[in-house]
Amino acid sequence: MAQWITYFPNEDEEEEQEEGEQSEDYKITGRDSLVFLIDASKEMFKGENGQPSNFDMTMQVVRSVYTSKIISSHRDLVALVFYGTEQSKNPTNSFKHVYVYHDLDEPGAKRVKDLDALREAKGAKLAAETMGSGETSLGDALWCCSNLYSDIKLRLSHKRLMIFTCRDEPHGGDSTKDRQARTKASDLKETGIDIYLMHLMKPGGFDVSIFFRDIVSPPEDESELALQLEPCQKLEELKQRVRIKNQKKRAMARLKLCLGEDLKVAVGIYKNVVTAKKPGAIKLYRETNEPVHSKTRTFHTQTGSLLLPSDIKKAQVYGKKKIVMERDEVDAIKKFDDPGLILIGFKPMESLKLHHYVRPSLFLYPEEDQVKGSACLFSALLTKCSERDVFALCRCISRRNLPPRFVALVPQEEVIDEGKVQTIPPGFNVIFLPYANDIQTLDTPQFPSASQTQVDKMKEIVSKLRFNYRSDAFENPVIQQHFRNLEALALDMMAPEDTDDRIMPKVDQIDKSLGPLVQEFKDLVYPSNYNPDSKPAAKRKIANTEGAAEKKPKLEVSEDELKAHVQNGTLGKLTVPVLKEACKLFGVRTTGTKKQELIDALVARLG
Amino acid sequence: MAGSKSALVLCMDVGFSMSNSAPGEEPPFELAKKIVQKFVQRQVFAETKDEVALVLFGTDSTENPLHQDDQYQHITIYRHLDVAGFDLLEEIETQVRPESQHADWLDALVVSMDLLRTETKGKKFDRLNIVFLTDLNSPASADNLDAMIDNLKKDGITLQFFLPFPVKDHDKEGGGGGDEDGTGPGHPGTGKGLSKEQKNSLDIMKHIMLNLDEDEGLEEIYTFRNAIEQLNMFKRIERRPMAWPCQMTIGSSLSIRIVGYKAVTEEKLKKIWFTVDAQTNQKDDVKRETVYCLDDDNETEVQKDDIIQGFRYGSDIVPFSKVDQDQMKYKHDGKCFAVLGFAKQSTVRKHLFMGNQVLKVFAGRDDEHAGVALSAVIRALDELKMVAIVRYAYDRRCNPQIGAAFPCIKEDYQCLMYFQMPFTEDLRQFTFPSLENNKKFTPSDTQLSAVDSLIDSMMLVEEDENGEKKDLFKPHHIPNPAFQRHFQCLHHRGVSPDTPLPPIEPWLKAALELPEVISKRCQVPLEEMKKNFPLTEVEKKKKLKTSAQIFGKDADEPDAKKVKGDEEEEEEYNLADIAEGSVTSVGSVAPARDFCTLIRKKSLPFGEVCQQLTHRIEELLKTKNTQYYMKSITCIQAFREQSVKLGEADLYNSYLQSLKRSIPNRKLEVFWDLLVQDALTLISQDEVEGSTVSKSEANQFLVAEEKKEETAAPPPAEDPGDVDDLLDMM
Repeated sequence: MAQWITYFPNEDEEEEQEEGEQSEDYKITGRDSLVFLIDASKEMFKGENGQPSNFDMTMQVVRSVYTSKIISSHRDLVALVFYGTEQSKNPTNSFKHVYVYHDLDEPGAKRVKDLDALREAKGAKLAAETMGSGETSLGDALWCCSNLYSDIKLRLSHKRLMIFTCRDEPHGGDSTKDRQARTKASDLKETGIDIYLMHLMKPGGFDVSIFFRDIVSPPEDESELALQLEPCQKLEELKQRVRIKNQKKRAMARLKLCLGEDLKVAVGIYKNVVTAKKPGAIKLYRETNEPVHSKTRTFHTQTGSLLLPSDIKKAQVYGKKKIVMERDEVDAIKKFDDPGLILIGFKPMESLKLHHYVRPSLFLYPEEDQVKGSACLFSALLTKCSERDVFALCRCISRRNLPPRFVALVPQEEVIDEGKVQTIPPGFNVIFLPYANDIQTLDTPQFPSASQTQVDKMKEIVSKLRFNYRSDAFENPVIQQHFRNLEALALDMMAPEDTDDRIMPKVDQIDKSLGPLVQEFKDLVYPSNYNPDSKPAAKRKIANTEGAAEKKPKLEVSEDELKAHVQNGTLGKLTVPVLKEACKLFGVRTTGTKKQELIDALVARLG
Repeated sequence: MAGSKSALVLCMDVGFSMSNSAPGEEPPFELAKKIVQKFVQRQVFAETKDEVALVLFGTDSTENPLHQDDQYQHITIYRHLDVAGFDLLEEIETQVRPESQHADWLDALVVSMDLLRTETKGKKFDRLNIVFLTDLNSPASADNLDAMIDNLKKDGITLQFFLPFPVKDHDKEGGGGGDEDGTGPGHPGTGKGLSKEQKNSLDIMKHIMLNLDEDEGLEEIYTFRNAIEQLNMFKRIERRPMAWPCQMTIGSSLSIRIVGYKAVTEEKLKKIWFTVDAQTNQKDDVKRETVYCLDDDNETEVQKDDIIQGFRYGSDIVPFSKVDQDQMKYKHDGKCFAVLGFAKQSTVRKHLFMGNQVLKVFAGRDDEHAGVALSAVIRALDELKMVAIVRYAYDRRCNPQIGAAFPCIKEDYQCLMYFQMPFTEDLRQFTFPSLENNKKFTPSDTQLSAVDSLIDSMMLVEEDENGEKKDLFKPHHIPNPAFQRHFQCLHHRGVSPDTPLPPIEPWLKAALELPEVISKRCQVPLEEMKKNFPLTEVEKKKKLKTSAQIFGKDADEPDAKKVKGDEEEEEEYNLADIAEGSVTSVGSVAPARDFCTLIRKKSLPFGEVCQQLTHRIEELLKTKNTQYYMKSITCIQAFREQSVKLGEADLYNSYLQSLKRSIPNRKLEVFWDLLVQDALTLISQDEVEGSTVSKSEANQFLVAEEKKEETAAPPPAEDPGDVDDLLDMM
């Protein structure tokens, strides 16, 4: 019984780990930062045929980035700067026609509200009133942005700047201004700021090569993918592009993939998926709503003196014996080897079983910066593995003091969509394989197989309910609801926005498209008096009578017997209900329902 | 099967012949003891409910209920049937030793049978087993043998024999000595051939075993050595997977009764470490307490009751009480396995599986109709190569998931396999530079064929002569080595508390390595790989930045529009005509630019221009201001460039050498570091013919200084070392 329940406490544990990881991330690498540099010229406000204007679309995207930052990485810094404005507002007010709407800072409720105010017709009006449209000097705007960066005293890991515009010639051919902007852009790039262009629809097409080619950061792989992009027309598309650029690509670890002695390729390990969790609650002081921090102290029960780490040891009990180890020994016994991936051999893909799964996979990509030549060897290995349809079996230690696990490195070839955007990156997926202990032996119940007619009917049903599965199509309703609630509270909304539960089956639609098929199928497989929703009658009866009979007799074990069990350490022989009963009898309060917890509680009282 | 319970008797020969061994071999007694230890260790750590008894025979004393007169002598029931504890392990370690008598092993069998019969009375056991560890080297009387066999059968007792030597299937015994069966060289005890008693006993033993099980009886006879190898692996901790009954629904009116089981999930150790006091080893002596404090100077403590909870919304913290939270949180109807629709299998990719388990879904227990209905679903999906996308919730308390149910059709059963899939929020869609389109990384044909032969040599799945596939390395057959190691250390610490932990056992290490055949076979292809793929470790220095990056533009900029002059220097320099007209000497504002202009104009002799420049450099250095070092560097850079261009190395070289000499006195280490990073060394003969400096000297020039600095220089005023630190300071 414990089986299913234990699944959940474990999750909490991992959560803590995960969070620990993240905050450590910040310490080591610093925070991400993103500046939105947005064209505020008249052109941006033009909306065609009732379509939202480019400006409006941009504001929606910025808002969605703000809220998603709030959800996923609230410590990142974001700024909102307009250029081509009439009014100017910037720290030293030394730049004309540049309006810093939001300084580089963590996004919060107020900023989201500000953006809401800038949306739609009222937003355009507000923008016209506060900022207006005027001359454009992208050079000044970039300069101003770089000042925002240099004013930050925190350590920044990624510095990004996204330009949103629908004008491919911002200075209308003024070569001095063009040149200034180029110079400034190259300065920014030199200081490690990546510049991206989110170019929007412009009548007659947006020509990147006129001017912006020299402004943006060259794409990582030097192929010209990024520049051939068509301008964004749709909001979703723009959101998608912004999101991809906005993902911080951070290696979880950098390891050596060891093919043999003296043949070590440097690789970075990335996570394909990470369970997004509701963030933990923060404890606040009731009177002032200020956050409090916790201090945990370990002290001696008798003397009351504080215990240092060296004053404590760790212990476990087995076979009635307490086994004690030093704290570092507890870590040391987990260590088998230094972190790394060791190649064991290759296997055909068909020997990778679908159900050999224990935890989310990782992704491997070469680290040319660490070992020169890695990318070439990696690429050759990738090509050959996918060509021959084999995977590489490796022994993997992903972090210090972790025991080894076996993994399958499954080749994944690059896929690029029609819009020349990479949808699947090249590299190896790292699939964790189970050990013998991880595979449960099941009593497999045997049932008669369905007839071909029955199968065919089901095939009709299946075909009616076909859809194109996309992994990014389902939002987590639990997290969404949580943040809607917070949003409502933070932004003083009357009620939280409704969440659309996308993982709820659309029963009406399903019923409609299946029509009579369901009844036909049921007629084929179920006898007329069969009701799948009720429990099998026979079983329930037995369960009932037994259950009733079992619960009545108070305690099967006498007090003396119990004490004897405690003394001999044989409490484990008793069943959970009996143990619970025993706890009640001795007035032992337990929070847990697990057998071990009950036993521990009883031993503590009687032992 | 899980939940079952066995009773077993370990019946171990400690008689005098067990201590005999050929030179260099471990005596059978020691091997037998190891087996018993490993076995008990397994029982202890697996915390099974199995009960174990230990009977020794060949003991000097006699202690058993059947003993009467000279009957059943030298047989000791060392421990009665009970759950194995650590005490038993300790006793075996310290008290079980070779003794000098011998006893009839058939008598010992009778004692064991009697023990099982009397001590299992009133308890329920699913299996009764007697394990014999003996060299069979004692006279055995076969009286009443058939009665004994009948009793074994009647009580359902099974037997296992562990012998020091292998037994051949086809009555070739008596030959002894040889290792014809190839189970490995030199099984101890076979060295001298079998004795008459052993041969006799072997016959009796085989007679018993074949009578108990005609077909497979002899397979329950093991050698000590094989047993140790097998026992090395800790048996998995048995658990019964919990059934999860539910309804699979498609729309509102089609439901199928199902039951789910966790089929694959990472097994964790059940026990966690608790904290004890280092002196007393008592858990109760240690108490942990958590207090909450305000973030003020005094860290004022706050009572637990005065604490409420809040959540972060970006930079804001929103107070949000538990009650409100519960009221507003996402709620659902509990347990479900509801189909949202069906999708192509190829669109649901394994690398996006989530969660920590695989769920196998069968039709409801004893429900044939559900069985047929589910079978129709499974087979339809299988034939169409599709999966069901389902909403899954374990129960009301747990968050719902999205997942995919794959059809799984095996010879003896059919089921759905459910995997959790990611939510939008869980995905990390990274893009990575293309590998194929990048010419720098494109492998050549030779390189590709080297990889090809490596893969050939390291294929783990092979076809043997009969066309059958053989997998040389199956991780899912290896028990988790972390558990093995964990229990090895616990056992060691439990038995000998004051000694350091033992190293990892060699067999365990070996079990994780690549198979020997493979490691031999891949040597040549590996050499080929090494030749074809040069790999050079990039030095792990902290990323050094050039001075321009450190002191240059980004750092200076904030408050300085005036820097603009410097900033656009390069551009102006290219558009030389703007500035050229007015320059007559090397000024202090933009000395490098002036210098270049003057050299180009040739209005002053080279030597004089250089002198003016070095004068300015010295001025800048005197300020000891890091801001100005940058400017000096640009000057030296320009000096060097122009000197090389004009083929005049001497002035530059002698200036740089004198500069170097003056560094310690003037405490200019920081500046020198920058120079080193920018690699502004002497001009060598390679660059200018007239130079008196060789290339290696030029290279040496900066390196040597670096070293000397480390050893000789007194701690400089400003720590020149960590570039990152400097960055942080600014």
